[in-house]
Amino acid sequence: MEVLTDRPKATMSDRRAELERKKAKLQALREEKERRRREKELKDVKESTDRAQLLAGGDRKELDEMLSEVGVAPLSEIYSSLSTVNSLTPEPSRNHTPDTSLQPNSLSNNVVAVRKKAPQLSVVPVQTTNIPPKEVVLYTKQTQTTATGHELRDAHATDYYDEYNLNPGLEWEDEFTGEDEENSLPHLGVGKLPPGILPHGLPQVKEVQPAVTQLEQEAKKEQEAKEVRELSEEEKQMIILSEDFQQFMDRTGRIMERALCETVDIYTDYSGIGEEALDEKCHQRISFNRTFFDERWSKNRTITSMDWSPQFPELLLASYNNNEESPNDPDGVVLVWNTKFKKTTPEYIFHCQSAVLSTTFARFHPNLILGGTYSGQVVLWDNRVQKRTPIQRTPLSASAHTHPVYCMAVVGTQNAHNLISISTDGRMCSWSLDMLGQPQEILDLHRMQGKPVAVTCLDFPSSDVNNFVVGSEEGAAYSACRHGTKAGITETYDGHQGPITGISVNAVQGGIDFSHMFLTSSFDWTVKLWSLKDSKPIYSFDDNGDYVLNVKWSPVHPALFAAVDCCGRLDLWNLNQDTEVPAASVTVDGMPALNKVTWTPSGLHVTVGDNLGRIHVYDVAENFAHPRHDEWNKFLYTTQELRNSQVDEELEKLNYPPSSINTSY
Amino acid sequence: MSNEVEETMKRIQSHKGVVGTIVVNSEGIPIKTTLDNTTTVQYAGLISSLADKARSVVRDLDPSNDLTFLRIRSKKHEIMVAPDKEFILIVVQNPTD
Repeated sequence: MEVLTDRPKATMSDRRAELERKKAKLQALREEKERRRREKELKDVKESTDRAQLLAGGDRKELDEMLSEVGVAPLSEIYSSLSTVNSLTPEPSRNHTPDTSLQPNSLSNNVVAVRKKAPQLSVVPVQTTNIPPKEVVLYTKQTQTTATGHELRDAHATDYYDEYNLNPGLEWEDEFTGEDEENSLPHLGVGKLPPGILPHGLPQVKEVQPAVTQLEQEAKKEQEAKEVRELSEEEKQMIILSEDFQQFMDRTGRIMERALCETVDIYTDYSGIGEEALDEKCHQRISFNRTFFDERWSKNRTITSMDWSPQFPELLLASYNNNEESPNDPDGVVLVWNTKFKKTTPEYIFHCQSAVLSTTFARFHPNLILGGTYSGQVVLWDNRVQKRTPIQRTPLSASAHTHPVYCMAVVGTQNAHNLISISTDGRMCSWSLDMLGQPQEILDLHRMQGKPVAVTCLDFPSSDVNNFVVGSEEGAAYSACRHGTKAGITETYDGHQGPITGISVNAVQGGIDFSHMFLTSSFDWTVKLWSLKDSKPIYSFDDNGDYVLNVKWSPVHPALFAAVDCCGRLDLWNLNQDTEVPAASVTVDGMPALNKVTWTPSGLHVTVGDNLGRIHVYDVAENFAHPRHDEWNKFLYTTQELRNSQVDEELEKLNYPPSSINTSY
Repeated sequence: MSNEVEETMKRIQSHKGVVGTIVVNSEGIPIKTTLDNTTTVQYAGLISSLADKARSVVRDLDPSNDLTFLRIRSKKHEIMVAPDKEFILIVVQNPTD
């Protein structure tokens, strides 16, 4: 400390002198620098003028002249002005030198000096070059998977043994054939090896994950527990009543039921089971498949009609009459059943206030279902809306039906189709599905004497929209047409002693057209085969012992038809095999009255609807249901034979009147 | 309308072998159930997180894809899960019956 305090006093004068010296030296250096710069600038100007002279050469004079003509100063003047600018520029630049701050006197001097000189400004052409920045393209690479398989480990010492290959049994699977106890034992034993004893085999090196302590685990559990918050009853009710929830339940409930009914056991082991699968079913022409029944909606209701969806061949539509035992439920019910899945509940449920007597899919609109009711209204349901009641209905007025509608059909093509409905007062209405407010056409079907025809059943020959056949309560069948001068009943087919219950036109396509052949079933215990060309029946099937309630041709076999009667009997007739007795016959359990029968579009199943609300599905053996190629010719031969025998019979009757036969005995 | 929900629940429950039916919302909170409280809460929490995981698996494999149904077959039960945008329907059944 003493030294330090002493020093400034002793060397003060020395230091001042040294400072002075240094200042002077700095000044000299600065001047030298300035001088050099000026020299360099002068040199630059000289060089550029030289270069210009070189470039211009002898043409310089001409150039000058040209320039002066345009009104620009000659080159030499430009160069001279250039040099003055260059010489001027260094003056202000002096202000920016870093050392000036050290010399406050010199700064003020310089500023004054600059101000003294009047700046001479002139236009200087400056060459500009544009160098675009180099574009650098960068790519990044990353994966989008979330990390899985991060097993959390407990912070226990024993866990580290898992770092080694403790389960050789898992790696060398072929050494161990089964999972018997012996093999599973070492697995357990090794895990309890004392520390220090390592199992055989190389240890596997793995990254050790940070251990999860007990505390962390508890914290996590707490968090999870917090998340599960219970909803109050009100909140639950709010959700349940929301539209979203209703739709969700409707949709997923349906899917879940299908999944539940999937009884196919995917764990079937074929190696263990013997060949019991071959049953006698193959030899049966007709075998029971399943029943469609709904406790709430179909119990005690007579099936009034059935139809198959043209778009979805597995969907069966059925209409039901009223249930007298539950007067609070709607009278009319229509259910859509699914034959594809084994679920026993209907796919869709629709209902309306009046009993539904006939129903049909709206052929070209897969979502729409039509129903003819006892009141005379034609109603329309849509399976896209969450509503079981009809979305549209026709008016109950004199301009439409006022009597029960027992038969309906959709005829025509995709672009031009109509719904035809006929009520028991003989009124036929044709409707456009776009406008159910009033019928497009009305036609009253009358018999010759002017009495209305009480129509009970209707059928259109395939691909015909004008001509159709109807069955009536008075026992006669009629052919009729919708348009033309003879619109109305065209022909009468008398033969039945009781009301006609069913009518069916042969609709099988093939080499020979049989669309003039139709069948009728009646309360008089018979089924009759007719031709449109003949007012007398071709043949009468008298095998039944009760009311025959419905009859239907097979959609694929020209000579096959099904008939059902009042005592639970389903008969399949193959006219090419036998015309006296049915080819196959089955009695439904409980012998209910079978009201309706239909074939699936494939012709492989027959469904019958009874008076207790059950629909029974029967499988028809494939070799029996499918026609052989000669079946058409054979059927033509059969019908010819039937006609011949009929003529013979009539001739016999003429020759031997019944009274004479009696007397002969 | 809510009686149709009840009807659907009842129909599903009446199927042979069905042990329980649970409807949970997207957060895994049970809305309707036929099982007791503790089992329901357990199933709701576990199954909804499993369904979420399964859905993310399906979507990660193909972003235009989505999970529609999930069946878990175990020795004792089969758990069938029908997930939807906002709710999940869970049905537990005994397949051996």
